[in-house]
Amino acid sequence: MATSTDVGDLDVAKISVPTYEYKGVNTKVFHVGSFGKLWGEKLNPDYFSLQENAANSEEAEDAAFAEEVGISADVLEEVKFVCSLDTLRCHPENESPDTEVVGPNPSLQTLRVQKRKQDYRETLTIDKTCRSNIYASEMECVTERKRPADPEAMVAEGEIILSINIVYPVIFKRFRKHRQHQTMRVLGSQKLTELRDSICCVSDLQVSGEFSNMPDLAPEHINKDHYKSAFFFFEGVFYNDMRYPECRDLSQTILDWAQNHYTHDKLQAAKMEEATFNDLKIKIGFPYLYCHQGDCEHIIIITDIRVAHRDDCLDKTLYPVITKKHWVQTRKCSVCNMYIPRKRWVTSKDCFAPMDPCFFCDKCFRMLHYDTHGNKLGEFLAYPYVDPGTFN
Amino acid sequence: MENFSDAAKSDCESLLHRFQRTDSVRYEEFSAIWRDMKFSTVFYGKMAANEKRFFSREILAIASHYFLPPYSFQIRVGSLYLLYGLYNTQLCSPKEKIRIALKDWDEVLRFQEDVTSAQHYDAAYIMRRLFLDKAFYFCAMPEMLCYRMGKRQHKHPICEEFRDRPARVKDLVNLETLEEVLNVHEHYHKMKCAISASASQPDSSLSLIQQDLVPQLKDVVLDFHNWQEKRTKRVKQSVKTNSEEDNDADAGQGSSQQDESSRRAQLLASIKSKSYGQLVEVSKSRRHRQTEMESSGSGSDQGSAQAGCGGRKRKTPPSLKARIAKEVCSKVTPDVEAVELKEEATPLSTPWRLSIITEKDEELEKDYLIFVEGVWSESSRGGKKNLKS
Repeated sequence: MATSTDVGDLDVAKISVPTYEYKGVNTKVFHVGSFGKLWGEKLNPDYFSLQENAANSEEAEDAAFAEEVGISADVLEEVKFVCSLDTLRCHPENESPDTEVVGPNPSLQTLRVQKRKQDYRETLTIDKTCRSNIYASEMECVTERKRPADPEAMVAEGEIILSINIVYPVIFKRFRKHRQHQTMRVLGSQKLTELRDSICCVSDLQVSGEFSNMPDLAPEHINKDHYKSAFFFFEGVFYNDMRYPECRDLSQTILDWAQNHYTHDKLQAAKMEEATFNDLKIKIGFPYLYCHQGDCEHIIIITDIRVAHRDDCLDKTLYPVITKKHWVQTRKCSVCNMYIPRKRWVTSKDCFAPMDPCFFCDKCFRMLHYDTHGNKLGEFLAYPYVDPGTFN
Repeated sequence: MENFSDAAKSDCESLLHRFQRTDSVRYEEFSAIWRDMKFSTVFYGKMAANEKRFFSREILAIASHYFLPPYSFQIRVGSLYLLYGLYNTQLCSPKEKIRIALKDWDEVLRFQEDVTSAQHYDAAYIMRRLFLDKAFYFCAMPEMLCYRMGKRQHKHPICEEFRDRPARVKDLVNLETLEEVLNVHEHYHKMKCAISASASQPDSSLSLIQQDLVPQLKDVVLDFHNWQEKRTKRVKQSVKTNSEEDNDADAGQGSSQQDESSRRAQLLASIKSKSYGQLVEVSKSRRHRQTEMESSGSGSDQGSAQAGCGGRKRKTPPSLKARIAKEVCSKVTPDVEAVELKEEATPLSTPWRLSIITEKDEELEKDYLIFVEGVWSESSRGGKKNLKS
C-alpha cells in the first residue's frame, strides 16, 4: 500500500513538471495546480515574495549571504564593491547620455540595425510612434504593479498566473501570423466561468433578425441574454457553463457523435462553474476550444503559466486582466463618413447602397431608407450591426 | 524588429567569446569587457515603449540560453553576469524579467551549489542579488508557446564552442553507437565468412581485429565513466574535509597535502609528455580552476605544483580570491597564511577529469581510442581492413 502511494507521488511529481512534447510548440499534459505547488516547494519564499523590500533588508540579506558562504564582512564589502552596478556603466559618471540616439559607428550588431532604422527615420518628414504601439503599451502597463486598497483582495503568495490567448472565431489568413484577438491573464484559483465572462466577442452582442420593415421594433436584447450556453474544451473534457436554468449542455451532441466516431479517448463533460484553472490538466501551447452562441468557436491557447511576481497586478478583483487586444479598424457610416455611433445598421441587397453589405448610422439609415412617415422605400434587408471595433 | 534578435544574439556571443578567452570566471574581467564593448548601449535607440519591452525580453531570453547546460561552467558564469548586466541596464520600467522553467530549476540550484563550493564569491553574490531583486519569472516553460500562431519562431542552435566537454566520451559512445558498431562487426564477420573456405569460421589470416570488440568497448567506456564519477566524488569529499579542517588548521595536514600535490604534479608532467597529444582536449570550462590555482598558489611556496603546470602557464592577473586571501592574510600570522593558502589551493588544484589520469586509465583510454578508430575506419571505408589489431 505504502509503496503504491509512493509511486503515485513520484508520478505526480513527474507529470507536473512541464516538458516539451514537440520542442518549441507545446508541452505534455500536466496538472496546473500541482505544478504551482511544486514551484512553491522548490523555491525559497524570498524569491517570489510579493512584499516590497524593506529599507534595511539589504544589510540583513548581505549578512545572511556572508554567513552562508562563510566570508568575513571585509571580504563581503570587497565583493560588493567589485560587483556593484557602477561597473556596468559605459559612460562617464557625470554624464547622462541620450538613450534615444545611437552614436556614430557603433560596434554592436544590434546598434547597427538600430542605426539603420534611425537613419531611415531621419529621412521621414513626420516621425512619430505608431498609435497602435502606444495603445498596446498602455494596455500592458495599465494594471502593472497595481495594489488593492483592500488587503483582503491581495493575490496570495505563490499564486500562479496563466496567460491565455483568445483567437478570432474565424481565422483570417491575414490575422493568422500576427494577432490574437486578445490576451488575458487569469489566476490559478479562478473559475473557468470568470474567463468566459471576460471574453468579449461581437456575436454575444449581436441581435439576430431582419428588421427592414419595422426598424423601431428591433429588440434591445442581445444574444448573450438569449443564449447563455457555452463550453470550454480542454484535454478531452467539455466544461459546460450551466449557471443558469436556460443553459443547455452544448457538448451533448458532440459526445453522442463521438461515441460512434471517435475512439481514441473517452470524452467527458463537466461543469464550468465548478472547475478552477488549478484543477485543469492541460498542455501549454496547445490549441483548445471555446464555443458559445452555439457555433461561435474560438481557439484558445494557454501560452504561459508562472508564479505571480511582485510587479504583477496584485488586485485579485481585477483579474482576468486583459493585456493585449487587437485593435480593429472601425467601420464608418457610408453616408456621413463618421464613425458609427452606438446604433447602427448593415444592409444587404440594398437598391440605395453603393456596395453590399453597406454600413449606416441610425440617422442616415432612416433618412435614406424611409420617408417622413416611416414607410419603407425600395427593396433592402436591414440588420442591426455590432462593430468588432466596439471593444477598442 | 526582425533581425534585432539575430543581431542581439551575435552580440551576446561575441561578449561571451571574449570572456571565454580570459579563462577566468571573475566578474572584474567580465565587466571590463562589458565596458570595453559599451554593452549598455545595446538598449539605445528610438523605440516605442512596447518595442523596448519586447526587445528587453528578447535579449534576456537569448542570454539565459547560455545559463543552462550543455554550456560549460565558464560560459554559464559569463551568462549569469550577462543577465545581471542586461537586467540592470535595461531601459524599460518596470523591468522585464528573466524566465526560468521548472524543468531547469534543478540545474540552476546545482549551478549555485557549484559556484558556492568553488568559492566564486562574486558569482554567488550576483546570483543572490538577482534572486532577491526578483529578476526572475518562475515559469512552466522557458518561452511563451502559442502553437506557432504568433510571431516568428526563432531557432537557437547551440553554440558548439561554448559547450561543456567532460561528457564527450559518453556522447561519443552511447547505446546507439554501440549497437551500430555491433551491427557493423557482425556484418564484417559475415563478409569474412563468405570469402573464407568454411562458412562458419573465417579464415585465420583474416582475423585482424579483436573478436569481442563490442563488449570490450562497453567495458572500457563503463570503466571510464565509473572512474570519472569516483573522481568527482573524491574531489567533493576533499573539499569537504578541507573545510572541516580549516578550523583546527594542523600543520601535519599541510605537509601531507604538499606531498600529495607534488606527487600529482610529477604524475601530471610524466603523463602529459606521453599522452597529451592523443587525449581529448582539457575541458575549457575547468581551466579557470587551474588558473586559479596558479594565481592563488603564486603567493605561497608551492613551486612544485607550478612546475607541474608549467607547460600551460598563463599570464592571468591574480584572481579576486587571491587578492582577498592576501588582504585577509596580511592581517593574520604568516603561518596561518601558508596553511590557508595551501588548503585553498588543494581542492581547486585538482585539474579536471581528463587532464589527470592514472596509468591504468591512460591505457584504457588508448585502447578505447584504437577501438573506436578501428571500428569507424572500418565502417567508413566500407570494409577496408584496419591493421591496428
